[in-house]
Amino acid sequence: MLKRSLAIITLLIIGYWLAQGLAGVPFGQDKMLVGQYYLNHVEAQTGAINVVTAIVVNYRGFDTLGEVTVLFIASTGVAALLWGRKKKRTAKTEGSVVLTTGISLLFPFVLMFGGYIFIHGHLTPGGGFPGGATIATGFLLMYMAFISYEIPHGKFEVTEGLVGMGYVIVGLIGLAISGYFLFDWIWQTWHWGAGNIGRLFSGGFIPVIYTLIALKVGTELSGIIDNMLKEEVKE
Amino acid sequence: MEEAGKLSRYLYTVIVLFLVWIPLTASLDTQELEFGFILALTVGALTYPVFTTRGLANLHPKRVAYAIAYIPYFLWAMIVANLDVAYRVLHPARPIRPGIVHCKTILKTNPGKLGLANSITLTPGTITLDVDGDDYFIHWIWVPDEVLQAKSEDEHAEHASEAITRPFEKFLKVIFG
Repeated sequence: MLKRSLAIITLLIIGYWLAQGLAGVPFGQDKMLVGQYYLNHVEAQTGAINVVTAIVVNYRGFDTLGEVTVLFIASTGVAALLWGRKKKRTAKTEGSVVLTTGISLLFPFVLMFGGYIFIHGHLTPGGGFPGGATIATGFLLMYMAFISYEIPHGKFEVTEGLVGMGYVIVGLIGLAISGYFLFDWIWQTWHWGAGNIGRLFSGGFIPVIYTLIALKVGTELSGIIDNMLKEEVKE
Repeated sequence: MEEAGKLSRYLYTVIVLFLVWIPLTASLDTQELEFGFILALTVGALTYPVFTTRGLANLHPKRVAYAIAYIPYFLWAMIVANLDVAYRVLHPARPIRPGIVHCKTILKTNPGKLGLANSITLTPGTITLDVDGDDYFIHWIWVPDEVLQAKSEDEHAEHASEAITRPFEKFLKVIFG
C-alpha cells in the first residue's frame, strides 16, 4: 500500500513537472524554423510530395540507416537469444476451415497492400517501415492459421542481407558521384522523374530505398515471428 | 476437387491481384499499371500455392455472373435480418429463444464453406460457431418450433439447413462448387 501510494505521488509530481514545462510552448502557433525550409524546398530538392518521407530518407537519411540497423540488431538478437539445437513448431491444433481458408485467400492481398504502401512512400503516408510491417503481418497470419507453416528461411535471410547491402550501395554510389553518403543521385544528377512529380515514377531514390527497406523490414520481422513461435523439442 | 495446373493457378492469382490493384490506386496512370503488374507477378509467384486450387476455372462466366448476382441478394438478406434483430431488441417482451443448431451443407470446397460461414454470420440472428466437414454448428436467436420438435438428429439438421444454409447454398454451389 505504502509502495503504491508513493509510486502514485511520484508519478503525479513528474506529470505536474512535465505539464509545467509544456505550458510554456504555445499551441497551434507557427513555430517552424527548419520546418518551413522543408515545406518550401521539398519538391524542388527531392522530387517527393510527401514531406515526411523526404525528410526521413533524403534530408536525414542517416537516421533511417540507423533505424534499419537497430531492427537488424533486434532480429539478430532475438535469433541469438532463442538459439536452440532443435526448434520446431509445436502447435497441436490446426485452425478451423474458416480460419485457414480465410487466411489463404487474404494472404496475397496483404502482401499486395504492403507493396502498395512502400512504393507510394513519396506520395502517400506510409513508406518502407509500415509496408514491411504489413508484409510481415501476412506471414504472421500464415503462421497463426497453419500449424506447419514456415517461411523459406534460406531465401529470407539472403534477401535480408542483399537488400540491406543494396541500401548501403545506393548510399555509396551517392558518395562516389558527389562526395557525401546517401546523396540522392537519381534526382540530383540524373533528374530522373523531374517531368512528372506526383506520379509514381518520381521522387528520386525514395521509392528505390523504400522498396529495399520494406523487403528488409518484412523479412526481418517475419524472422522474429518465426523465432518466437518455435519451441525447443526434446529428443 | 482436382487441382488445376500450376500455370492456370498462377495466372488466376495474378489476374485477381491486378484487378484489385486498380481500385486500390484508383488510377489508370500507365506508371501505376506498370508497377502494379510487376507487383502482381511477384506476389502471385510467392502466394499462388495457397491462394487457389482451381485456377482459371474460377473465372468461368457462369460463376462470375452468379457471384455478381449474389452481392445484392446477400445485401438484401442482411438488411432484412438486421431489421429483424432490431425488432427483437426494441420489442418490450424481447422475443428471443436462443439455441445452437446443427446444419449440413452440400458445399464441397473450402472457399465455399468459408463463404457460407461468413454469410451466415453476417446475417444477424445466426452465428457460425464451428465448421467441421459438412457440419455447421450455428447459434440462432430464434429457434423455430419445427426444429425444436424434431424427432431425430437428421430431421433437426434438415429443418435447420432448410432455414439457414439453403438460401445461400443455391448461389454458393455454383460460385465455389
